[in-house]
Amino acid sequence: MVRNRTFGSRAFDVVNIALLGLLMVSCLYPIWYTFCVSISEKSAANAGLVTIYPIGFSLAPYKQIIGDGLFFNAFWISIERTVLGTVFSMLISVLMAYPLARPRREFKLRNTFMWILVFCMLFNGGLIPWYLTIQQYHLINSIWALVLGGGVPIFNVILIMNFFRNLPKELQEAAVVDGADPWSILFRIYIPCSIPVLAAVALFISVYHWNEFFNGLVLMNTSDKYPLQTYIQQLVVNIPTGTSLTPDQYKKLSELSNRTLNAAKVFIAMVPMLVVYPFLQRYFVSGIMLGSVKE
Amino acid sequence: MRKSIAGVTLAVLLALSLTACSGGKPNDDSQASSSSDTSNLSGDELAFYKFPKPVDVHIGMPVDPTDTTLPKGDSAGNNQYTRYLKDKYNINVIVDWTAATGNDFKQKVSLSIASGKLPDGLVVDDRSFMTKAASSGLLYDITDLFKQYESTQVKDIMDSTQGRAMENASYKGKMVSLPNITVDTDGVHVMWIRKDWLDKLSLPIPKTTADIEKTAKAFIDNKLGGPNTIGIAGPSKNTFPYATFLVSSNNMGGFDPIFGAMDAYPGYWLDNGDGTVTYGTLTDNTKKTLALLADWYKKGLIDPEVGTRDNVGDPINANQAGIFFGPWWNGGYGNGDSFKNDPTANWQAYPVYSDDGKWNVHMKTTGSTYTLISKNAKPDVVKAILIMNNALVRDESTFDLSVAVAWYPLRNVMAAANETEYEYTELLKILNGQTKPEDYNKPNSLYKLMYSDATKVQKVIKPPYDNLNVGNFDTSNFGDFQRLYSIMIGDRPYTTVPIDKKVYSVTYNQTPTMETKWANLKKLEDETVLKIILGQAPIDSFDQFVKDWKAQGGDEITAEVAGLLKE
Amino acid sequence: MKRMGILKHYYLMLLPGMVWLVLFSIVPMFGIVMAFENYNPGQGLFHSEWVGLGNFKYMFQLNDSVPVLINTTVIAIGKIVFNLAIPLVFAILLNELTHLRYKKLVQTAVYLPHFLSWVIMATIVIGIFGYYGVANTVVKSFGGQPHLFMADASIFRQLVIGTDVWKEFGYNAIIYLAALTGVNQNLYEAAAIDGANRWQIIRNVTLPALSTTVVLLGVLSLGNVLNAGFDQIYNLYNPLVYSTGDILDTWVYRLGLQNLQYSLATAAGLFKSVISFVLIFISYRLAYRYADYTVF
Repeated sequence: MVRNRTFGSRAFDVVNIALLGLLMVSCLYPIWYTFCVSISEKSAANAGLVTIYPIGFSLAPYKQIIGDGLFFNAFWISIERTVLGTVFSMLISVLMAYPLARPRREFKLRNTFMWILVFCMLFNGGLIPWYLTIQQYHLINSIWALVLGGGVPIFNVILIMNFFRNLPKELQEAAVVDGADPWSILFRIYIPCSIPVLAAVALFISVYHWNEFFNGLVLMNTSDKYPLQTYIQQLVVNIPTGTSLTPDQYKKLSELSNRTLNAAKVFIAMVPMLVVYPFLQRYFVSGIMLGSVKE
Repeated sequence: MRKSIAGVTLAVLLALSLTACSGGKPNDDSQASSSSDTSNLSGDELAFYKFPKPVDVHIGMPVDPTDTTLPKGDSAGNNQYTRYLKDKYNINVIVDWTAATGNDFKQKVSLSIASGKLPDGLVVDDRSFMTKAASSGLLYDITDLFKQYESTQVKDIMDSTQGRAMENASYKGKMVSLPNITVDTDGVHVMWIRKDWLDKLSLPIPKTTADIEKTAKAFIDNKLGGPNTIGIAGPSKNTFPYATFLVSSNNMGGFDPIFGAMDAYPGYWLDNGDGTVTYGTLTDNTKKTLALLADWYKKGLIDPEVGTRDNVGDPINANQAGIFFGPWWNGGYGNGDSFKNDPTANWQAYPVYSDDGKWNVHMKTTGSTYTLISKNAKPDVVKAILIMNNALVRDESTFDLSVAVAWYPLRNVMAAANETEYEYTELLKILNGQTKPEDYNKPNSLYKLMYSDATKVQKVIKPPYDNLNVGNFDTSNFGDFQRLYSIMIGDRPYTTVPIDKKVYSVTYNQTPTMETKWANLKKLEDETVLKIILGQAPIDSFDQFVKDWKAQGGDEITAEVAGLLKE
Repeated sequence: MKRMGILKHYYLMLLPGMVWLVLFSIVPMFGIVMAFENYNPGQGLFHSEWVGLGNFKYMFQLNDSVPVLINTTVIAIGKIVFNLAIPLVFAILLNELTHLRYKKLVQTAVYLPHFLSWVIMATIVIGIFGYYGVANTVVKSFGGQPHLFMADASIFRQLVIGTDVWKEFGYNAIIYLAALTGVNQNLYEAAAIDGANRWQIIRNVTLPALSTTVVLLGVLSLGNVLNAGFDQIYNLYNPLVYSTGDILDTWVYRLGLQNLQYSLATAAGLFKSVISFVLIFISYRLAYRYADYTVF
């Protein structure tokens, strides 16, 4: 690439590098900040004195977490939910995407199914009917409510379908001539050709399952069934100083307004994402490029 | 092909929607026999009856996510309290669901009511939840069973409210819930102030709002709580600037005493004495008080984070604040960390007087939580729940409180309305040697915690007894310290200082129109009040608020409340 | 006959997904009748009092409904606009970087916040914009008065839009960067040989290459005009900022799950669904007509 190396151009480079560096720092800061609060002295953190470096040093919150069965329980449920949810969604999405990627002359009802899907993607009965339905299935308080209750990730089906449609037609035709049935075409030809987009979609689904808190709050009956984000949400955001607390409830609460402990929990909750993310970056970048920008 | 798929789909849908609508019927799969033959029992024999066969009671319960008192291996459904119920009464408590106290619990209750599937027993903290469940026909009419099964203690406590508790627990003349009865002093808000800071500056105890202003300024100017000293702590994002007729007690960090000193009673329905009522927030005195608070906020006397803090206790426990307002238990129970962080924090409680020297107080309702019993519960289960309540009232003082008593299933506090004042007076007698702890060893006493407190008071409080400071208290058993500090310091104003004017709300419940319109009006009120205090809206916006409030259903509701007056 | 055989396989492949769809998406839709009745849990969905459009009429009589609609659209449109523009600028700046290692590093960092949940981000946002947070430390160091950001209704929308853009700008730039990799490098070289400066190259080569993507993304986001982001607002707001921060989704949530107004909540939710459906339909038609883009 040839560039004009004028003074203005060089000045622009310097400013540009600095600006992007600043943006980079701003995106990493949340993680650093949480870490700092988590290892600071409790009193300094509660008074809000921690800003860009830890004040004091204490590992007490981490020690406390190690003994906290509920936290690790929630962590495990999140992993279980993410794995099950991703496997299920992927399987069903891929199976649906293939017939829907067939041209209409080959699969007449394709558009009908497509419209049903789109309708379901855009419409819903609202929170309370949805809850009542899941209750009717006796899934309340079961991990399957979390795995299945979020519904079919229809947008992902569409992503995969679009990718399948853009694969060279010759692949399919040659296979048909060889006498392969749709199942082997899908599993032997289409899936191996679509690894980047499938990896990207799998990432989207697993991030959804890992980060989702609301369904956990509504569909789970006891806190030992909460996924991690729900567990953190109720600790951090739901401070129950509402209407009619009794003195002894209140006493408990005021003793444990604990920013450092919460920060430590939040930080640990970030860790899996931080560990997995660099390895997956390649896939989601290419997946987004392939899946959504269709020329 | 198309037809058959459509057919199958339709059939599935129909089947599902049919099951969906048949929900809420009682399922008679278990042995429905009312096994207990209790015809020859009466009175307290019935009230503490042990079932011959185990009775399963399904409950939903709020839990505190930060609680650490439950021993390892125990759970909401299996702890010292559930085992006690099993051993003594053959009651099996089965916890159907739990949720964190506060919004999460509300949400679960809401979904339970929506699905028409209440557990057998459930304690809710909002009367509208009780009325919604009752109007949907989901609650058991316990009028007769309660009369049969209440213990004498419970009966005495109910009577101590002169029928107010029964009315509170009823819907359309039928008793559909067990009421919560709390001490009257929960609704009497006093000023909590750092006496040690006053002493450091050689300042007198402030009496009027003008005194408080000067004192708060002195605290801040002298940085007694460090560089970020807060003169007056205020409500958090989850608490309120003042208690209201729906939530008429236990408002930690509100400004209730300031309003009282200005003869203003916002949030209360005031009887004008001529057959009309006024909503207290709309009065000129409320407006004047808001102007005063806005002025204080502007001058930096009130916590700058008022209304947005997560936790009202934070600046108090961090010993940043010198003054706050709240009921008797706020000092001691409510600010334990403050004493832990600074053992010399000498929090003292005093009334705030009007400029002409009057102490005006708004009074609370009997209680604001309700034990709901499902319509689908079997009679034995209903009896079991009533027995659980009797047992709690009788035995609460004997429990080992190292496990938070909130773990007691369906715990709904019932206390005699004047319990705290009684204890204050009697405990002082013990300290002064006029009585002995053993004098209070009366089983089934109306004052159920008296004896256990009597045995502890001499250990915790050291002489001299005439002017108790934090230095008089021994904190080695912190729980005992907190309770006795709250009683002896926090309830001292209410027990010893005569109140010049007690203001009751015409009603503490919602009227029919309120069920649809109140949430909206309340929001309007909350926003206006906080914005004025924070200086985000001029004081004159108050007049517009009054107009809007009246136009958006307030007038209609006022007429309804006036109608209650005639009854 | 062979065709029929293949179709059988296609139906079989669709079966698990369709069963799932029916169970968890279509069956709950029957609950929509709740919006047209005064739902009484004791009587059940099909026996409650029928009120027709009563709930919808009542909804618009509430003095909450109009501000809530305004908040929703203002916040959503703000997010749409800035989530198009800021990533665009960022992608162009990043494209100007010559140091590839640094470019990679910046990319890795800025994609990251997208993967953190709003539960977690909210604790951080509150930590930064709280009264004793980082923002006020900066303000104070410049001699300013500390400010209550989280409780100031006049800036809450900006705060919501700003933090959302901050969380998502890197991720949203991926599509632009993808489009830029498709630009023929010869164009840059030709422009440079012609003596064009940096700005001219950006304006004449880079921007035109991105214009279709911008237009397409803009059109497709039309359907989000009523989606202001429940997770974010639910975790950030407080009663002090309801006047500018309460959106349809949070309002529906409070109506249904805290005020027990089940029918009203369902009606408000249905109202949102219908409007969104129409908007999405329009946006897909527009995308098809003007960009020749079919979503499905």
